[in-house]
Amino acid sequence: MIDTNLPAPPGIEGQGFFATALDNVVGMARKNSLWPLPFATSCCGIEFMATMGSHYDLARFGSERPSFSPRQADLLMVMGTIAKKMGPVLRKTYEQMAEPRWVLSVGACACSGGIFDTYSVLQGIDRIIPVDVYVPGCPPRPEQIIEGLLKIQELAQNESTRRRDSEEYKALLESYSIQ
Amino acid sequence: MPFSNEEILGFVQHTIGEDNIIEASEPHGLLTIEVKPEHLIVLVGRLKNHPDFQFTFMTDLCGMHIPEQIGRELGVVYMFHSWASNTLIRLKTFAPIEAPLIPSMTAHFNSANWMERETYDFYGIIFQNHPNLVRILNVDDMDYFPMRKEYPLEDQVRKDKVDEFFGR
Amino acid sequence: MPSDYLPVLVQLGLAVAFVVVTMIVTHSIGPKNRGKVKDEQWECGVESVGDARAPISVKYFLVAILFVLFDVEIIFMYPWAVNFKSLGWLGFVEMLIFMGILLGGFYYIIKKGVLNWD
Repeated sequence: MIDTNLPAPPGIEGQGFFATALDNVVGMARKNSLWPLPFATSCCGIEFMATMGSHYDLARFGSERPSFSPRQADLLMVMGTIAKKMGPVLRKTYEQMAEPRWVLSVGACACSGGIFDTYSVLQGIDRIIPVDVYVPGCPPRPEQIIEGLLKIQELAQNESTRRRDSEEYKALLESYSIQ
Repeated sequence: MPFSNEEILGFVQHTIGEDNIIEASEPHGLLTIEVKPEHLIVLVGRLKNHPDFQFTFMTDLCGMHIPEQIGRELGVVYMFHSWASNTLIRLKTFAPIEAPLIPSMTAHFNSANWMERETYDFYGIIFQNHPNLVRILNVDDMDYFPMRKEYPLEDQVRKDKVDEFFGR
Repeated sequence: MPSDYLPVLVQLGLAVAFVVVTMIVTHSIGPKNRGKVKDEQWECGVESVGDARAPISVKYFLVAILFVLFDVEIIFMYPWAVNFKSLGWLGFVEMLIFMGILLGGFYYIIKKGVLNWD
């Protein structure tokens, strides 16, 4: 039999109770319920559709409800070529998400402009928004997109609950001129 | 039944005068006529409203930049199709790069609206009497016209792409 | 005994108090990260133009309110139907008069063309 139980975080176990740190519980809750905002533009968006399908099910990692509104999304998945004209739209979408928020950049075009080194393509979305995990590929296979999501899950689990008040986060947003 | 190219060419000669046709040819059997910009709208109107030809479908409109033709660098090519007779013809006009003024085809075809905006966006061809000639696909504050053939293939001052990864 | 229903009242009060207290406490001790762009309207990333106030056609309201009226009439018919035998002939005639008045109103509505959707 395969043991599909999640490993329990470190804590004190007893008869009918389990005590652990609040950060561990919050981290576990956050990591297993990342609701994505699929900002799918091109071919990587099609690969994402395949990943969301039943074969490479992304929903089993908790991303059951993709939202196209940033108000209710945790994870901004940017998949596909972002043109310079689309830049302000993407930035506004990121700015209107509520903390805690993570960004997953899928595909070569989102990471660095990809093969489109031209006047009209933004050479990587990290020129306008902070990115947490980059998934290279053109397009990356669904397994790679899932691995990107697993890395985001690691980040979500280990993120402190007061990160948004920290100096480091504020400095990061300042460097992108995001208030 | 498609009309023959001679018939259509004869009608065009009759409409705008034989001297005003700069060039007429049939590459791969497709009648291609080059005219001056000032005769364009009248000619297209006659072709569209002709009871037999009925070229009521403009299938394409795009710009050209041929730097070698001095005095006629920027041009626009139109393709017209007739549903009734299944005939396809091509019209071209050219204008000098100092004054790229061409009358707008929105006088006869509404579909020319956005196509001319795209042509303006990429080549800088000014279409006279266009209802809203602004950039459509590029960022609004771009101050050059990307598809003109006067730029080097790669940006010479980029610092963030390592040459050896890209085989240079 | 009316005092037997006191636990229901207590339960209702606790439920409402839970909602109110939770909302107040979370809004006051939760982190707030407001920002100018963050608080704007979400219009899929583009600048939003105008507000969403647009005049709505009155036909929707008329259909809904007429439905409510005639539904209430049906509700009045339910207890009458249950006690039909014991109310006898007088009850039957009373209901006929009641329905007749309301059907008169219905006739007026149809003649006025209120239910004409276009």
